[in-house]
Amino acid sequence: MNAPTGQRMRKTLACTAAANAYQKAFGAELKRRVVDDGEPFAIVQADTPHEIFHVMDIPIITNQWWSAYISAKQLSARYFQVMTDHGFPENSCKYCSLGFACTLANDPATAPWGGLPTPTVLVARLTCDCIQHVFQQWAQAMNTDFFPMEAPAWEAKVPRWFEQSRTNWDAVYQPDRIAHMVAEMRDLIALLEKKTGRRFDEEKFHYLMERINEQEGYIWEANQALAKARPCPVSIGEQMSNTMIPQWHRGSDWAVAHAKSFRDEVLERIDQGLGAAENEQLRLMWIGAGVWHDPGFYQALEERLGAVFVWSMYMPFAGPQYIREIKGRPMDALASRICSMNEVLHLPPWMNSWMESEAERCGIDAAVVLLPPDNRLSQSGTRLTALSLEQAGVPVLMIDADMVDAKNWDHAKMVGLVSDFLQEKGLA
Amino acid sequence: MIASVGAEVPYDLLAATGRYAGPLRWSIDRDFPHAAQWLESKFAPWVFSILEDWASGALDELDMVVLTRADDNAQRLYYYLCEMQRQGLIGGPEPVLFDVAQISRGTSLEREVRAVRALAERLGVTDAAMETQIRATNIQRASIPVSTAGKRTCLLAGTPPPDRRIHAMIEQAGWAASGKTLAELWSDPGPLVEEGTGDPAAALARQIHGGRVGNRSFADRGVLVVEEMRAAGAQAAILWYGEEDEALVWHLPSQRRALEAQGVPVLVLTRRDWRGQDDAAEQIAAFLGDLPQ
Repeated sequence: MNAPTGQRMRKTLACTAAANAYQKAFGAELKRRVVDDGEPFAIVQADTPHEIFHVMDIPIITNQWWSAYISAKQLSARYFQVMTDHGFPENSCKYCSLGFACTLANDPATAPWGGLPTPTVLVARLTCDCIQHVFQQWAQAMNTDFFPMEAPAWEAKVPRWFEQSRTNWDAVYQPDRIAHMVAEMRDLIALLEKKTGRRFDEEKFHYLMERINEQEGYIWEANQALAKARPCPVSIGEQMSNTMIPQWHRGSDWAVAHAKSFRDEVLERIDQGLGAAENEQLRLMWIGAGVWHDPGFYQALEERLGAVFVWSMYMPFAGPQYIREIKGRPMDALASRICSMNEVLHLPPWMNSWMESEAERCGIDAAVVLLPPDNRLSQSGTRLTALSLEQAGVPVLMIDADMVDAKNWDHAKMVGLVSDFLQEKGLA
Repeated sequence: MIASVGAEVPYDLLAATGRYAGPLRWSIDRDFPHAAQWLESKFAPWVFSILEDWASGALDELDMVVLTRADDNAQRLYYYLCEMQRQGLIGGPEPVLFDVAQISRGTSLEREVRAVRALAERLGVTDAAMETQIRATNIQRASIPVSTAGKRTCLLAGTPPPDRRIHAMIEQAGWAASGKTLAELWSDPGPLVEEGTGDPAAALARQIHGGRVGNRSFADRGVLVVEEMRAAGAQAAILWYGEEDEALVWHLPSQRRALEAQGVPVLVLTRRDWRGQDDAAEQIAAFLGDLPQ
């Protein structure tokens, strides 16, 4: 997450400004609670059960959000160097280790917020080979507990999982995997109650789960309309902001209200025939994490070629992976949401089947896939997905680049690559 | 016949079937025209080799391959294999994922016990057969010889190399080389398993849950490398990490510190070609050659 290298993203929705303003205020409030008031807090991965912390009113710092914050302060290059100075090779996975690097730097004078105080716990699901080692050492450096969660074997393979995940989640995500995660979450709650003195309220949790369904329902409704609309009413950058910012606060009054406002604004734009781009000729799919250091990349070919990125995973994921029929078992429903959050995005058959279906649903002409060189998890499944898309008639371009490290990213070169590819395929 | 992929598999259970052919092998000094279409660059070279063999029909005589979840390469390969078979891209044996849970909490140990029992049921192995095999393998475990080379010994640690090609570089410099290759690691039945517990599946699960060698182990790698150094009587160490290593490489600083604290000179080689086709031989020769006699 080096300093931005490309152009800024164009923002056209009122909702986007509101979401960004809320997140900025939230950052200040989080700092007040965690740093100034010394409240207990946790550092957690994005694919962990945030809902538990929300119910217990324990502030969380999401590792990915903290990394983005460090990046925005233009400190990432320095922290990558800190990792090297501590003896870690340059090719070690950067995506999850920036916060750890900030801790290792131990320089309150320059660290964001003066550095983080000691958290109550660090939490991560073990979805790759590196994360447990990063979090284990990070917890040691901060002299606190690491609560790892298993990512168990998944044998029940339902390729079209996204059609059943809302209602038939027991079968899709495998009962024993759900039960295992429920048991782990009960252990986590016990640890949090012991260390913070705060209590987990089951009724409050049930209500939160219902509110999250409402919130994600609005996002999903907007996404379904957006997929059918021509031109695409909202850029993928603004899709990301208006999905992900409320998702960090999922189930809160603000998040539900914001999702509703976003849906309304999307529908209004569709009614008015407004497009994210003025000249939509080609509809592109972006597969992989966002290129956070060059948000203007996605809009670079709109004017010249009418090539518009209309799809990234963040917004459409709200439907199949978040909404859950609660069935009187909110903890099980939550487990089914979390226990495969990463797997469905990075492993066959779930990844390729979903992407292929999404390409068809959204009228995609071509796909661009990010292939980060130093991250097996992020690379995983991309070739088989490309194969599935190509068999479905969607040409695919693979880009070797990192979503967090701008060192090997050249805006003009990358835009040129996409342009050449589209022309080569006879699309532009 | 049944084969396995990875270090942390239930060796005694597989052996008790009477159909265990041992771990799959690899041949990495070649191109992988099939596998390169489907695998991304960060997969270890042995994954390319196994998938290439699978796709070319070289493994067709096997009925089943058990892959461990304790190694990210192996567990991802399992999902790829299943999907490619579903799509008809490859044939070959049935891939089975053996769930490995090593978090030091009761929930993970219970999951491990269930995983061993489920595989035993699938393979038709009774508790009695498993107990008999545990006793037999324990005899084998106790009799594994310790290397006594007589020469000055250099420990090779970090990413387990494919075979003894890196060891040969050490030996070329006039030293004895200690440290397991990946092939040796995969063939190692692991530490002793408790006998006579009345629940051999649980005993085997406890051995796997507490495993110390795999990528998902929570063992203190600094302590481990010093134990290895002492067991080998090593006077020098090389910490060698392959380009694709995403796990063990995180312990490079602690392992280096631990060895240096023992007064052992250490050469660190990172981002290395697993085939050894780089300047490792020259660096190893220079490092060992510079050490006082």
